[in-house]
Amino acid sequence: MSSQKQGAYGGAKTGGDTHRKTWDREEYAQRAKDHDHKSKEESKARYEAALAGKKYHRRASTPPDVRATEARQARLDVASRVGTTVLVGASAATGKRGKGAGFYCEACDLTFKDHLSYVEHSNSIQHLRAIGQSTEVAVATLEDVRNRLLWLKRKRDEEQRDVVVDLDTRLERNRLTEEQEQEEKRRKRREKRKNKKKADDDNVMKYESDDDGVIR
Amino acid sequence: MAEPKFHKADAKDLLDDRGYRGTLIRGQNPALLMEKGVRDRIIDSYYWKEQCFGLNAATLCDRAAELKFIGGTSGIMGKPTPFLCLAFKLLQLIPPKEVILEYLNFSGDEGYESDEDRPKEEPRNADDEPAARNGDGSRILDPNAEGKLGEFKYLRCLAAFYIRLAWEPVEIYTTLEPLLTDFRKIKRRTKNGFQLTYVDQFIDDLLTKDRICATSLWKLPSRANLEDLDMLEPRESPLQEEADRSDDDDGDIELLEREEMEMDRDSDAGAGSSEQGD
Repeated sequence: MSSQKQGAYGGAKTGGDTHRKTWDREEYAQRAKDHDHKSKEESKARYEAALAGKKYHRRASTPPDVRATEARQARLDVASRVGTTVLVGASAATGKRGKGAGFYCEACDLTFKDHLSYVEHSNSIQHLRAIGQSTEVAVATLEDVRNRLLWLKRKRDEEQRDVVVDLDTRLERNRLTEEQEQEEKRRKRREKRKNKKKADDDNVMKYESDDDGVIR
Repeated sequence: MAEPKFHKADAKDLLDDRGYRGTLIRGQNPALLMEKGVRDRIIDSYYWKEQCFGLNAATLCDRAAELKFIGGTSGIMGKPTPFLCLAFKLLQLIPPKEVILEYLNFSGDEGYESDEDRPKEEPRNADDEPAARNGDGSRILDPNAEGKLGEFKYLRCLAAFYIRLAWEPVEIYTTLEPLLTDFRKIKRRTKNGFQLTYVDQFIDDLLTKDRICATSLWKLPSRANLEDLDMLEPRESPLQEEADRSDDDDGDIELLEREEMEMDRDSDAGAGSSEQGD
């Protein structure tokens, strides 16, 4: 037990009624004012909508960190796990919910059986909301388009710089890469053999002594 | 009101055939410029769902730069080509005219920064570019569109196809006709296989045929019609000079032939007289 007395909420010493919560009066006054203002605006909008013969729907609030939707940077990866085996828990997925066998969406915790339904899901509003995107795309200006085209051209030029049209050079290059591949294969084979031999040696019971087993 | 700064990532609004409220093309929903069957196939295609989602006018260039062929639908199932899907996407985006012209005539030189430097505005020298002004009045929208300007040729074809679908007749003629001097090869997907064709061939098809790339094109008023209405100046073909020259040559040849024939007749007559003498 400490000799020093502490308040129930820690930190502040008791004395008077300081343990009570203190209210920031200005902040709450501001909040009330905002609320009044908002409801006033809303009732005005509702009134105008009624005048125009429509029903007023309040707009859902937008999260502050929402991003504009963008086009895919690369192809959807649908083929990388072909031929592999994955263990799936028996009760892992019920219907689409949860992680099961198929295409799994991390953000929505859903599993899809084929890539068509998966891509449809990844375009859906549900998914876009879950990954924090608005479902809208920014309109590109002329400047954007020109910059994009210039960038694409530079990219293509750079790719084409390495392309050699000369037949002899290409044959030579192919021969070199082939040799390298052969060498790599040979090296692997040698390593494998070595490992196997080592394993065989390990399996044999060994007797080791300092002086090669000579009895003195 | 200012231009909207965002548009929808998906095509739900475009495909809403009762409540469409976007930009109209000739008084109707732009999606209707393609037929119902091919429209449905495009929307069902994997390329549309995967690659055309969330594109805007700038990112569409990425996809268009990867294009390897033009064409409509292929195979028994009528699978739409990426070209057709992107054209449909353009109908959804409806980019402003200058953007389309940029697609069409992107030259790839990074020289110009401001608008004054852009070669598009005015020909530097009217004598250098005789086709810049068509006759005396009507100006071709883009004199530099001639020849091999579009750096990405499939992007150029795409823009041309969109122009044919979406723009007004006079603009179509003035914008697309300079492209008839672009002789680059392009690949065209047919129903079962590929075919070699040329950019100018494709443009000519766009201007003259009524069905191309699995789409029935809207009826374009003929050039002669528009010329009669004084909306277009007569087109001056780049081969005109050559044709005139060959006409002259033909005249000379005719003259020569006639002279030869006369000479033959004279010689025959001479021979006959000699026979008579015998």
